[in-house]
Amino acid sequence: MTPSRLLTSKKVFIGSLLLVVCLMMLSPVLWTAITVSKPTNVAFLNPPTFTWDPSFRAFVDLWETTTFHQYLLNTIVVAVISTVLALVLGIPAAYALSRCPGWVAAGLLILALVFRALPRFSVLLPMYEISKQIGIYDTNLAVALALVAINQPFSIWLLRNFFAAIPRSLDDAAMLDGCSQFQVLRKVMVPLMGPGIITAGLFIFLFAFQEYLTALILSDVNAGTVPVFISTQLGQTLPLLQQAGAAAMLLTFPVIAFAFVAQKYLVAGLNAGSVKG
Amino acid sequence: MRRRDFWVLMAPSLVVMFGLLAYPLYRTIRWSFERVQYGADGTWVGLDNYREALSDPRLIHATVFTVGLTLVASLLLVVLGYWLAYLVNQLGRTKPIVLGILLISYVVPQIVGATMFSWLFNSNFGGIVNHLVTEITGTEILWFTDPWANRVVILLNVLWFMLPFAMMVIIAGLQGVPHETMEAARIDGARGWRIHWHVIVPSIRGVLGFVCLISVMDILRVFDALIPLSPQAVGIGNESIMLYIYNVAFHDGGQQLGLGSAINVLLIVLIVVMLFPFIRDTAREANQ
Repeated sequence: MTPSRLLTSKKVFIGSLLLVVCLMMLSPVLWTAITVSKPTNVAFLNPPTFTWDPSFRAFVDLWETTTFHQYLLNTIVVAVISTVLALVLGIPAAYALSRCPGWVAAGLLILALVFRALPRFSVLLPMYEISKQIGIYDTNLAVALALVAINQPFSIWLLRNFFAAIPRSLDDAAMLDGCSQFQVLRKVMVPLMGPGIITAGLFIFLFAFQEYLTALILSDVNAGTVPVFISTQLGQTLPLLQQAGAAAMLLTFPVIAFAFVAQKYLVAGLNAGSVKG
Repeated sequence: MRRRDFWVLMAPSLVVMFGLLAYPLYRTIRWSFERVQYGADGTWVGLDNYREALSDPRLIHATVFTVGLTLVASLLLVVLGYWLAYLVNQLGRTKPIVLGILLISYVVPQIVGATMFSWLFNSNFGGIVNHLVTEITGTEILWFTDPWANRVVILLNVLWFMLPFAMMVIIAGLQGVPHETMEAARIDGARGWRIHWHVIVPSIRGVLGFVCLISVMDILRVFDALIPLSPQAVGIGNESIMLYIYNVAFHDGGQQLGLGSAINVLLIVLIVVMLFPFIRDTAREANQ
């Protein structure tokens, strides 16, 4: 075989291998999409049927018979509040950590690493008790605040790595021109950090959107999020289960769009996250 | 940077981390020495909770299950993540599309992903994988009640949702491997796996270590996925440490907050021990 033929057959091999991997990775989503588009009486047949009249009854029922919209609204409100707060708190801290070498900064970063690894329950069970005592239990605010705290270590690490990539000579030049440290951050760093801030914001938003345990512990009837809704539908009757599938799809479609649109930033974030030290 | 500026910039974040993480953590540690229920003051019982936790075979089971899952899944994540990253990295124009598809399982909420995953295997819900496996092997596998079959489902799900992350990070590492080094190795006669083992892997060791770090952190805390994937977790011995804490401190009627807190503290100790190599490296790097 000539080298170019060899190259093409290798390409075909890799291509088909990746096609199989992609199909396997997509299979749970595809299967759920198929199941919720079947009429309820054939959706859960065993063995499964492969011919059906498409029906969107599950979506209509989900919207009309449950308070799904409330859960969806909670999810979005919590994600937005916690993203904004996490960035406002995290940006100055990350900037300070990136510009201050030595033991204090190293110690704080290690502390953040340990906080990142804490099991959720070790902070959530006390938060449950405290939020009841001060009367914010079962509010979006309580869930959002908890998420800000839980994600703070991650956002600081990520933003700090983005800041570290900006040369320090820029700070010095701005300071020579008469800027204070805070003006340097506001007028020089934040504009330069645009992509870094977007990346960190997208990750924090995503984590808030995905979070199950925090919302489960800190909410009762008012502040539940979509993952909590879906988990309460499990183990119920088949129509309810199909509605849970519809809810899963409604949550998954925007997230898929998100993955494609924000891909560049997600990749950048995972890259920056792995460049430690 | 002046010291005063440093602390002013750090202050808001530190207030949140100490108020909302360190203080609750302190409460957990104090509760672990008390007999206590929600909304009441506890009574000091010293090490009783720890004694009770460590002599409970359920905790030992949960620990063995969780640590076993963590080790197997982390190892497989590094190997499969590397393999997938290597393949995807060779793609041309189709790369963004493939990356977009592969990222989906990473961005879907874990409990939702695990729920969809469970439907693939559940004969009550006409699962397609379940159906195919039964057709091919001729025996029906009880994915949710047989301990080992259930462990396979759990492991597959953990790999499913964490593989994109491992792959992405490793792709980033691969892009940092200088082309000349690979060429030189090829000219010197290195072929196939030898290039991977002797050239690429050593030069992305840091990245592989990072994948291990995050995998260990996140799989030790596995909880969400077990709710739909292992409804009988307690009975068949597939209870994770986090699920055990949830059952003891929150879910079961007893609400044994003290006992739950003691297990929390033990879990933190386990996490710190398993993270120790990474903490040491971070300290070394940050101090340079």
